[in-house]
Amino acid sequence: MSTEPPDDTDQGLALHHITVRFGGLLALDDVSLQVAPGRVVGIIGPNGAGKTTLFNVICGFVGPQSGSLTLDGKPFRPRPHHLTRRGIARTLQGVGQFGGMTVLENVLVGARSRKAEADAWAALERCGVAEHARALPGSLPYAKRKRVELARALASKPRILMLDEPAGGLDTEEIRWLAELIQGAQTTVLLVEHHMELVMSVCDEILVLDFGKPIALGTPGEIRTNEKVAEAYLGAAA
Amino acid sequence: MDRFLFLTFDGLSRGAVYAAFALALVLIWRATRIVNFAQGAMAVATAYVAYSVSDATGSYWLGFIVALVAGLLLGAGVERVVMRFVDHSSPLNGVVVALGLVLIIQGVLGMIYGNEFRPATAPFSRDAFEIGGVALLSRYDLFVFAAVGAVVVLLTLLFTRTPTGLRMRAAAFAPDVSRLLGVPVGGMLTLGWALAAAVGSLAGMLVIPTELGLHPTAMDIVFISAFTAAVVGGLDSPIGSVLGGLMVGLLLSYISGYLGATVAPMAVLALLVVVLLSRPDGLFSRRAKARTA
Repeated sequence: MSTEPPDDTDQGLALHHITVRFGGLLALDDVSLQVAPGRVVGIIGPNGAGKTTLFNVICGFVGPQSGSLTLDGKPFRPRPHHLTRRGIARTLQGVGQFGGMTVLENVLVGARSRKAEADAWAALERCGVAEHARALPGSLPYAKRKRVELARALASKPRILMLDEPAGGLDTEEIRWLAELIQGAQTTVLLVEHHMELVMSVCDEILVLDFGKPIALGTPGEIRTNEKVAEAYLGAAA
Repeated sequence: MDRFLFLTFDGLSRGAVYAAFALALVLIWRATRIVNFAQGAMAVATAYVAYSVSDATGSYWLGFIVALVAGLLLGAGVERVVMRFVDHSSPLNGVVVALGLVLIIQGVLGMIYGNEFRPATAPFSRDAFEIGGVALLSRYDLFVFAAVGAVVVLLTLLFTRTPTGLRMRAAAFAPDVSRLLGVPVGGMLTLGWALAAAVGSLAGMLVIPTELGLHPTAMDIVFISAFTAAVVGGLDSPIGSVLGGLMVGLLLSYISGYLGATVAPMAVLALLVVVLLSRPDGLFSRRAKARTA
């Protein structure tokens, strides 16, 4: 199955027939996706399905062999250091913080506006780590560092927030907090995640990849009952 | 006691220059993991430009400013034209390219200006004035302290209080993460090289009048002392490089004063070996840790 090519006139981010090969490996195979403003879109699939590669295409770290992207209907050639200027922020699978800089300094790097410091503090408050602003990230527990990572992304006030496995390594309570944050983000969210309960509870729409190929796109209810999805996951588990 | 005090102040003055030069090395090391062995030759090149301007205009200070501007431009040029294209898969590649730059710069300077020592004047008297009957410091020493102190303060403010400084630090810690946050990493590297070369130029302008004068290889010995200072302080530590510079200056002054000037270079090399064997991360560097947490 291939998802239908998106309508160029729509607002938001759109991927058109994206294909990526790494040597002989087909990492993404004709992937199309429309991410409308304000929607929370999940990207799931077994390990090696191409989820992070898709994120890397949107960020400009990986160039597709074929296909294109549009932002608000206009051609979009992503370059990593222009992303925040285009209103896109991304977190990484790890915590990826600057070890020699304080939490506040880490978040300030992500803030772009003239009132960067106010934005940074607001993001720290929103993520519940303002009290650690003067600490080095390495001195904090993993869950707090994840929150710092989120604060850094939010500090740029993105219109599209890309979260790469934000629940990894978090306990149930932290994941509940994360779900509330995503639901209250008031922005477009792209979520790559293995934690199915989180994905099903926060996403408006879910794209399922398997070996780089899109096998399903639909609401959480539709994905839950999709046989191909179940087969892909059961196959992966086996 | 009078001699000890004199040697101490003399060592601190010389050490301030090493500190500035070591700081230039550390700035580039933190950003690129390259020890810029061409730093000395680059500093000499800008000093030649400065003294040419001073000779033509009769103004030392115009030449001094031109040296700093030339340092900025030369550093940016070296990064954009040469270092950006170095294959970083092996740390040796950057070292070899930097050593190649030394040969090219010194060769070109020799062709243009000749290989004779040319006099380099100091803007202030180097005669020490007496405090309490003891000759301690010259006006030139005070100028050196003020100039190096100003650079350290300005760089500290840049790196801790400005968005550009934050981005430079971020780009040095984790380039890919920085790019995602909108940091123009290439531009930050260019700026880092430019600043480092300007600081190196300042160090050159401060130390050359105290040596034999201008010569294409005038900074070679200074480079060894400054490199030792950077290693002693920790190549990752700007503050360490300043402290290391002062330590090396004091060591050289005491050894020269009490044991003879010929022993001093050996003492510097001995210190370098001891630190590399016992604390390769430097005396003042926090133990090398993951660059991203």
